[in-house]
Amino acid sequence: MSESPLVLMKDIVKRFPGVLANDHVTFELRRGEVHALLGENGAGKTTLMNILYGLYKPDSGEIYVKGRKANIRSPRDAIRLGIGMVHQHFRLIPTHTVTENIILGLKEAGFVINYKKMNEEIKRLAESYGWKINPDARMWQLSAGEKQQVEILKALYRKAEILILDEPTSVLTPQETRALFRAVRRMAEEGKGVIFITHKLEEVMEVSDRVTVMRKGRVVVTKNTRDTNPQELANYMVGRPVIFEIEKKELQPGDPVAVIKDLYAMSDKGVLALKGVNLEVRRNEILGLAGVTGNGQVELVEVITGLRKAVKGRVIIDGKDVTNRSPREIMELGVAYIPPETLRWGVVPSLRVVDNLFLKAYRYPPFSKSAVIDWKKVYEKAEELIREFEIITPSPFVKTRTLSGGNIQRLILARELSGIIGGGVPKLIVAAYPTKGLDVGATEFVLKTLVKYRDMGSGVLLVSEDLEEILRVSDRVAVIFDGKIMGVFKSSEADIEEIGLLMAGVKEKAKAG
Amino acid sequence: MALLPIRFERRLTYTRTAAILTTILAILLAFGAVAILFIILGLDVAAAFQTILNVFITPRLFFQAVVRGVPITLAALGLAIAFRMNFWNIGAEGQIYMGAFASTGIVLAHIYYGFLPEVLVLPTMFLTAFLAGGAWCLLPAVLKAKLNVNEILTTLMMNFIAILWVAYLIYGPWRDPEGFGFPLSIPFPDYAKFLFIAGNQAYTGFTITLIVAALIYLLFRYGKLGFELTVIGQSLDAARYAGINIAKAIVLGAFLSGGLAGIGGLSILSGIIGRLRPDLSPGYGYTAIIVSFLAALNPWLIVPAGIFFGGLFTAGEALQATLKIPGAAVEMFQSIIFIFIIFGEFLKRYRIVVGGGGSGG
Ligand SMILES: Nc1ncnc2c1ncn2[C@@H]1O[C@H](COP(=O)(O)OP(=O)(O)O)[C@@H](O)[C@H]1O
Ligand SMILES: [Mg+2]
Repeated sequence: MSESPLVLMKDIVKRFPGVLANDHVTFELRRGEVHALLGENGAGKTTLMNILYGLYKPDSGEIYVKGRKANIRSPRDAIRLGIGMVHQHFRLIPTHTVTENIILGLKEAGFVINYKKMNEEIKRLAESYGWKINPDARMWQLSAGEKQQVEILKALYRKAEILILDEPTSVLTPQETRALFRAVRRMAEEGKGVIFITHKLEEVMEVSDRVTVMRKGRVVVTKNTRDTNPQELANYMVGRPVIFEIEKKELQPGDPVAVIKDLYAMSDKGVLALKGVNLEVRRNEILGLAGVTGNGQVELVEVITGLRKAVKGRVIIDGKDVTNRSPREIMELGVAYIPPETLRWGVVPSLRVVDNLFLKAYRYPPFSKSAVIDWKKVYEKAEELIREFEIITPSPFVKTRTLSGGNIQRLILARELSGIIGGGVPKLIVAAYPTKGLDVGATEFVLKTLVKYRDMGSGVLLVSEDLEEILRVSDRVAVIFDGKIMGVFKSSEADIEEIGLLMAGVKEKAKAG
Repeated sequence: MALLPIRFERRLTYTRTAAILTTILAILLAFGAVAILFIILGLDVAAAFQTILNVFITPRLFFQAVVRGVPITLAALGLAIAFRMNFWNIGAEGQIYMGAFASTGIVLAHIYYGFLPEVLVLPTMFLTAFLAGGAWCLLPAVLKAKLNVNEILTTLMMNFIAILWVAYLIYGPWRDPEGFGFPLSIPFPDYAKFLFIAGNQAYTGFTITLIVAALIYLLFRYGKLGFELTVIGQSLDAARYAGINIAKAIVLGAFLSGGLAGIGGLSILSGIIGRLRPDLSPGYGYTAIIVSFLAALNPWLIVPAGIFFGGLFTAGEALQATLKIPGAAVEMFQSIIFIFIIFGEFLKRYRIVVGGGGSGG
């Protein structure tokens, strides 16, 4: 009789308002394996693991732990079953010591706590994974990597055999990442099962025994890691071949509207995210920027639009040097920006549709005179924009958060492209992940709109994780990896295999080695 | 990681009706708790409540309530500006003191140097009180806008400085030489008091609050600045993205906020006590915070809410005077009502979840 798997999640369905986060997902974890869970942001990885950890209740589906059907209603139940989870964001108490954090909520600790003994145990446990941790240190004194080690130790101290790590490397330096990989391999050798969530292909190849790829709430495939390669995984992750054709005029691209020269910038974490980017966007063309999320795309668009400072290099829009100018100056030069994370940057969900349509244009004539907004003019124009951009809303006066994602994106397109800000067609359109999370209809609308403005003379920089989408609409494709442009191709001549390798940073390695 | 099986979850929405019912319920429960307090203290509950009610139905006492409500309302109107942009100004008390200080300065300067025609003294006092209150809010605003220093701490600390500054003046250089050593300034001449305008300080004060409420309504309804402050308050990220000059807007909004509290300080001197005193405000600046939230930052609701709280202060004095209730009990009476109202406001924004786990769906 073969041993039953540590975990079997069968046909899990979880629906959130408006999204099917897990759509009949089946997932298996065996003893002694590191199982990578790979997928783009929003694929449903965290949701699936939150279900296993008892944080969410699935709408349907069954969970078996070590062959027994389990009813996990809370993390307490999960911990009792030997499941431990380290979240994307840490949940430790900064003013407590390492030991205090580890034993917090632990029943066995009893009323009288023998700190000396526990400190000793925790130190030994840490050392067995190659970590040096002072159990008396307070959490706020530790680096991100050390905090993560404490989170893991906390799970192991509770005798977890099933360990879930949610995007653990996103906060780590390369050295810390390597140390983590060694520890994770060691846990597998001890017979534990580790679920390693990531959207980075190399990590899958480096640390895992098996890999399950998720896309849009579904499992695409489960494979032995040694039977696959980064390029194939990228294909699974990103999607199937082209289905729609978008009509596009044959146009000769014009003069450059944006020139980016040797650009360097920091990420929010204070590490270098752009390492000498060179790029050119021309009139009448769409330049697609392909790459796995987190390779500097967001930093790049933020520097171009003035939201982030460049530490070196230049951004030239329409012949003017706008490096480190304010967002307002840059938008007034005719730069439209469709930001990522729409609900955070793109709109104020608690304000009305009309307020969000005029989030930028309220300050320009004819919509305001000196210090006063002319709401009558604003309302009239809003009605017009709602019609023109086919925004489905009961009225311009409802709260924006009541709109669907697709309609919010149409609202943003209307605001940015309709000419209410600078007048006329935008010179440059920076579109960051404009179709993320949208359904097919809304995706088509967004892409067609970008093509329409390209035909009217705009230069478009389209950032996307979806290679297929980029190839559908772009005239040229640039590939970004680790803050550098790996290559630029004409879309008509692009070789998907080569782009996939560049996205995974593989080509460069091959060259170097 | 809950230590108790209770969590607070932020509400995404609450209906207007639910909000109004919560407020009414909180006030009723508050008075219920006050009744229990009075019973414990062995007081005549019926008589005590009659005294409180009288404040709101006897014209003479109601004028008192309005007069006390004026500084509260003015400060609360200012706070509404700050709170709408998510600037946690809890320094209205200090801004009130600075407004009082500045207006006294004008009065003394006029008395000693007579540099203004009498009719211009009160308008000049308004202007300087506004500037002084606004300036007092400026430093926290600049620190927040430029260095992201938490304004809760800075505005609070500025309170202590302002209160001590006024105390220093009144025990020192500004003490009335003919005041038998009491810490009081020279009494204000009539042309420096609200009586000078309408012959009734309640009418004057009330009219001023209505004008200010209307201005704030217009600011947020039609003003570019009002729109910018609203966007900043709802989403700093979106404000940045929209190219709003956040630092400038915050500094301007904070200045207006403090300025109105400064006029509140003026209204205490010119409208109630008629001279500078170190204890000129029994915490009107803190009460204004509650008033502002109780009225959901709506300027038209702030006016009646401010008068209601002015009435509670008047009721406190009446209880002390007619029923000989000790001062401490009166303070407890007010505090209980405050706490219930604050809890009601909290419940509008958060719900209490008992028991662990969450369905998330
Ligand atoms: N608590 C929640 N409420 C509503 N929607 C959610 C919630 N958690 C996740 N989602 C949605 O479910 C989808 C899957 O999210 P998630 O599991 O976090 O993806 P991943 O971890 O793969 O990036 C996304 O569309 C996300 O917006
Ligand atoms: Mg996730």
